[in-house]
Amino acid sequence: MGLLQEAVFGLVTGSYIAIAAIGFTLIYGIVNMINFAYGEYLTLGAFVGFLSASAVPLPLPIAVVVAMIGGGIISIVLARGFFTPINDTGPVPMLLTSIGLGIAIRNAIRLVGGRGARYIETETTTFRFDGVPDVAIGSVDLLGGFFVTSEHLVVFGSAVAVFLSIHALLTRTDVGIAMRAMGDDESLARVRGIDTQLIRDSVWVLAGVLAGLAGVLVAIQTNVSSTTGFSHILQILSAAILGGAGSPYGAIIGAYVIGLALALSTAFLPSSMTGLSSAVAFAILIAVLLVKPSGIAGTEVREA
Amino acid sequence: MVGITFNTRCVRSRNSMPSDTNKLVNRRTVLTVTGSGGIVGLAGCVSFGGGDGGDGDGGSGGGSSGDGGDGDDGSGDDGSDDGGSTPDTISIGQPAALSGQWDFLQPGVSQGTDAAVAHINEAGGPLGAEFEVIRRDTAVDPQEARTVVTQLIENDGVPAIAGLFSSEINPLWEFLQDFEVPMVTPWPGSTFLDTRGGDKATPEDLSDDEWVWRTVVGDTVHTSGSAVYALENDLDTLGVLNGTTEGERSYVEGFLSVYEDNGGTVAEQVEVEIGGSSYQSALSRLFDAEFDAFLVSLPLESAITALSDWSDAGYGRQPILSDPLAQQDLVDQVGSDIYGAWAGSPGQSGPSFDTFEEAFSDQGDAEVNAWSPPAWDAVQVIALAIERAGEATPEAIERNLGPVSRDGGTAVSTFAEGKEALANGDEISYQGAATPTNFTQHGNVFGSVTISTAGENGFEATSEVPAEDIREFVADGEY
Repeated sequence: MGLLQEAVFGLVTGSYIAIAAIGFTLIYGIVNMINFAYGEYLTLGAFVGFLSASAVPLPLPIAVVVAMIGGGIISIVLARGFFTPINDTGPVPMLLTSIGLGIAIRNAIRLVGGRGARYIETETTTFRFDGVPDVAIGSVDLLGGFFVTSEHLVVFGSAVAVFLSIHALLTRTDVGIAMRAMGDDESLARVRGIDTQLIRDSVWVLAGVLAGLAGVLVAIQTNVSSTTGFSHILQILSAAILGGAGSPYGAIIGAYVIGLALALSTAFLPSSMTGLSSAVAFAILIAVLLVKPSGIAGTEVREA
Repeated sequence: MVGITFNTRCVRSRNSMPSDTNKLVNRRTVLTVTGSGGIVGLAGCVSFGGGDGGDGDGGSGGGSSGDGGDGDDGSGDDGSDDGGSTPDTISIGQPAALSGQWDFLQPGVSQGTDAAVAHINEAGGPLGAEFEVIRRDTAVDPQEARTVVTQLIENDGVPAIAGLFSSEINPLWEFLQDFEVPMVTPWPGSTFLDTRGGDKATPEDLSDDEWVWRTVVGDTVHTSGSAVYALENDLDTLGVLNGTTEGERSYVEGFLSVYEDNGGTVAEQVEVEIGGSSYQSALSRLFDAEFDAFLVSLPLESAITALSDWSDAGYGRQPILSDPLAQQDLVDQVGSDIYGAWAGSPGQSGPSFDTFEEAFSDQGDAEVNAWSPPAWDAVQVIALAIERAGEATPEAIERNLGPVSRDGGTAVSTFAEGKEALANGDEISYQGAATPTNFTQHGNVFGSVTISTAGENGFEATSEVPAEDIREFVADGEY
């Protein structure tokens, strides 16, 4: 059993989760709410991507861009309609609103689009690296031959591009620096002249764009249905919390920890327990939080 | 409180089958102005065939006591109609998957049911009454099924039900038993029903009855057929990839039970959570083992993801699929690598399949699926049981389901033939569209298993495992 191959699978799974988790944690850090409807943002992004690629039809890369733009628009519209009006009520009412909104969107999608799955047509190429030597320790091979597919590379490449873009945004642009300032202390940021509502709107758009991208990437790998995003929301939430809620860098780390835990637990758990890989990922989450309640990269525990 | 009272009366009318229709009309007139809840309840009673139930005076087939009692009211199970009053309309209930994740299967079952009803009515209907089906949506949700069954029995007053899935029957088992209404269903494959249901081969004695019958072969039969076919094709070592839900596990357990008992070996089994974005880790683990073929038991969408991953990784080897996976979508999405994969599903070729097929195609445009012929059979045996009983009470139908279907009488392939034979005083043995429909003591049927293989044109039937070959792998009394 090749550890290197499992690491590839874990990195790909972690990449899906990381892209979405960045958006999720930005909302938490700056808008100060846990958005349980975020899974539905992925679903809507997946549907926009599917319709662009299949109904129009556009080339897949352009459909992905359309899904990202669509995700951003959907996110700001939903935020303006449901979250901005209750900005001052505190995190709990906003959390409850997001749960209700998520249920409503999911069922609306099911009513309009039906429960059946739709598929985005793609061609996949597999690249094999069979010449890598085995380095065995017991039954575990640390290296060994492995393969990656073009889908793997697209997902991982997209994730890396997102990480670099987010890093550049947060460190090199005024909007990004203002986001970090708001994340640290919103009142102080407002005193310093930052238009906090504009920054909130920017965060909603950015989170929507990332959800759209993550949604269409998941859709390419699996399918588009009313539960595309919902089935991943717990992993996204866990990655954000594991990394340190509010920290985009922490969310990336958390996502890859969960992705690798899922892959390795499936590979190495006893046969009768392979269906429990998600439970292992959550056990790691609990263990980390017991040791470091603020998460891997977090510096504070927010009140929520 | 009013609604509760009316529901109670509705149940009583179901049991008593009174003959005084005028009395019913008068009572309805009163109730119409009393409340809408009562109207709904009474309308249900009327659809069953008339009668206010409260003071029914018997007079039906075998001398119903008319007291709304709980059982042994003496149905006319000798095949004669003694001239007692018969209802104008006899309605049976059909809990249906009009929505939900299995709704794509319902059109074929609805059309099979409706074709049978039309066929029965063309032959004069049971006891000369108009036969009809009341169909209500459960979305295959056990809680919704609980409500729907209650509505059908207590509000609509149906004496029999032709529906319900495994995932509804299993959790609601005790609840369904309490109604003491026969439920003849074309859907469930669950091994849970292998030793539950039927009349225990004692038609006259209702005390040991478990009221659920199925006209589709159980998972035990077609998983056994698939296992037999795998062994016949020298696929002696197996890898297994299955989901963690009851349905997927049940399929695998049924398959492996016969497979391992007859010399097959399982090299590796990997369970996965359904709905994952990737199954590469699970496949990597599975294909580290040496085996001839691998069995996949997952819901369709997860199976498409898993088998696409399998195709991308180029693992090869022979895929064996659980029967719900024999779908065009799977071939379209996985591509040519899936060609040669096969699935064993209940055969669709009982003795009267041709009759069914003609009536089915006349009824509408739905496609025949594996549950369409069993739906036809379920309605036919209920109607024949009513005809033989001479009355349409749950108890009478329950007593006659076994006698109209088991070996020993004149073989009939439709209600029309059965009605004529019964009128001549003959015993009958219904020969179904899906299977010969010889109910076992547990209300199950045996049938052949069709092997469908994936190719350029989707899944096509390529082989058949006869029922006789499978029967030897299923112990007597265990099915």
